[in-house]
Amino acid sequence: MEEMIAIIAELSRGGFTRATYEVISFARELGSAGSRPVIIIPGKNVRELAEQIACASGIDAIGIEAEALDLYSAEPFKSAILNVLQDMNAAYVCLPHSVMGFDLAPGLAVDLGAACITAVEEIREDEEGTYFTRSMWGGKIRAELVPVTQRTVLTVLPGAWTAFVEESGLAGLVRVVKADPVSGASEITLKEAPGERESELTAADVIVSAGRGIGKEENLGMIRKLAGIFARGAVGASRTVCDLGWLEYKHQIGFTGKTVSPGLYIACGISGAIQHISGMKDSQMVIAINIDPDAPIFGVADYCIVEDLTEFIPALLELMETCPIS
Amino acid sequence: MEILVCVKQVPDNEGTIDINDKGTWITCGGTFRMNRFDEFALEEAVRTGEEIPGTVIEVVSVGPGRVVSTLRKALERGAATATHILVENERYVSPFETASLIASYAVTGHYDLIITGIMAEDDMNCQTGQMIAAILKIRCATSVIHRGPVRDGASVYIEREIEEGQRLCGEVELPAVVTVQSGINRPRYPALSNVLRAKNQENRTIDAGDLWKGDVSDELISMRRPEVSTKGIFLEGGRDEKARALIKILHERALI
Repeated sequence: MEEMIAIIAELSRGGFTRATYEVISFARELGSAGSRPVIIIPGKNVRELAEQIACASGIDAIGIEAEALDLYSAEPFKSAILNVLQDMNAAYVCLPHSVMGFDLAPGLAVDLGAACITAVEEIREDEEGTYFTRSMWGGKIRAELVPVTQRTVLTVLPGAWTAFVEESGLAGLVRVVKADPVSGASEITLKEAPGERESELTAADVIVSAGRGIGKEENLGMIRKLAGIFARGAVGASRTVCDLGWLEYKHQIGFTGKTVSPGLYIACGISGAIQHISGMKDSQMVIAINIDPDAPIFGVADYCIVEDLTEFIPALLELMETCPIS
Repeated sequence: MEILVCVKQVPDNEGTIDINDKGTWITCGGTFRMNRFDEFALEEAVRTGEEIPGTVIEVVSVGPGRVVSTLRKALERGAATATHILVENERYVSPFETASLIASYAVTGHYDLIITGIMAEDDMNCQTGQMIAAILKIRCATSVIHRGPVRDGASVYIEREIEEGQRLCGEVELPAVVTVQSGINRPRYPALSNVLRAKNQENRTIDAGDLWKGDVSDELISMRRPEVSTKGIFLEGGRDEKARALIKILHERALI
């Protein structure tokens, strides 16, 4: 049987997530040695989406439809996908490293007897095998792993690949199957997190963000002051600062917080773990202030300031006050 | 209820780690502590126990001898018993191996709930809890940011934090594995009575090799420090010089 690379698509608000488009690029790179990709789309009504993606990518698409696949829950999604996979020789099953992706992938791997490697950032191939690189310790170390099983389930780090480029040419074939998956969680609803609407982050031109490096809650004063200098400035935060209760979660920027792309992003005492970076890397200009010269945040910053922010920011504020630029 | 909390011990400070000579794992010159996400898991277990009288909380950890200090911390925070699954050397233990070990242990018990953190701060895999559930063939919910009441010991209401500021909420049938996101609760200080009890308490220790003899599914073959990005400009000089340089940059870009 032909060797396939299965891509599990993720849907949100009636369309594909951007991360799904990135997984398609990933799968194309993985498949350059000959395996053929196929996109599997679990959902409630997916025929039109399946046709859309097959046309845009030239890749075959299989839609799996069931009422139970409307909102995500692990067990029905897993059983529906396994059902489709059993009829194909999928050497790789690729998902986005989204909350759905990493919820689903490991259990899928166990049931397939496959290896599972998450948050993949790089692929390398040689005569002996295919190797997958992922980050550890917040990005300070990169580790290369190799599966030792026949099949592998992979999740792809958002942002590590760009969204696939549409190709003109033949549309992929589309097939839609009805599923009768096992039951999962019951009474599933989707709602907004409390306080979600009040966030001013998306409208801000300048975001000054506080990370663990601010040291204590009192130091938020200087962060707020710095944000206040700019006409449309707002205060952001890393998740840790919110977990500590120093700022409400509506300020959180990152993977499960807000994704922002302001004109200016000033990261203060933020180490730059990938979860945070994914939420702000598209900012037009990034300035990072951190006492650790090896902080991963410096990898995405335009201007890097290695200083103790609790001394640097007050000094900066004072200079701004005493030397007004006319 | 019987609750099993799975905790991992991780290096306290990433500044104290170095890649070992073979490039296959790290050496840590500093101290260790409980994985932050597992602290939230333990606190959530304790809170669940406070709601349901008669609940017994057991904690388990996979790792070398040093993890006993983290198991003691877990006892201080309210776990009743602790089990150490002993792995002899300092090496990478993959999520599949960890999950296989814990599942091999858990299958002998009757846990209603297995709670662990969404990921470990060191390897950041986000896999172990889900694999434990799959091996035990029980339900799983990850990234749980809020837990509601347990209904008749048969199900629990949970809210999962997902992207774009949304939550997926539902009722999960027990027994289940729940992996918690940070911020689900605010861990409290240990009660003195628990601290005193923990001082003299023995852990149950099981050799990993006796518990599970399966094959690993993947291998970590090399580690490296990422290349320093050359994209950014490091401002130079003393503090005030850097501040002045920054003001100039912001002014030139018409940002101030």
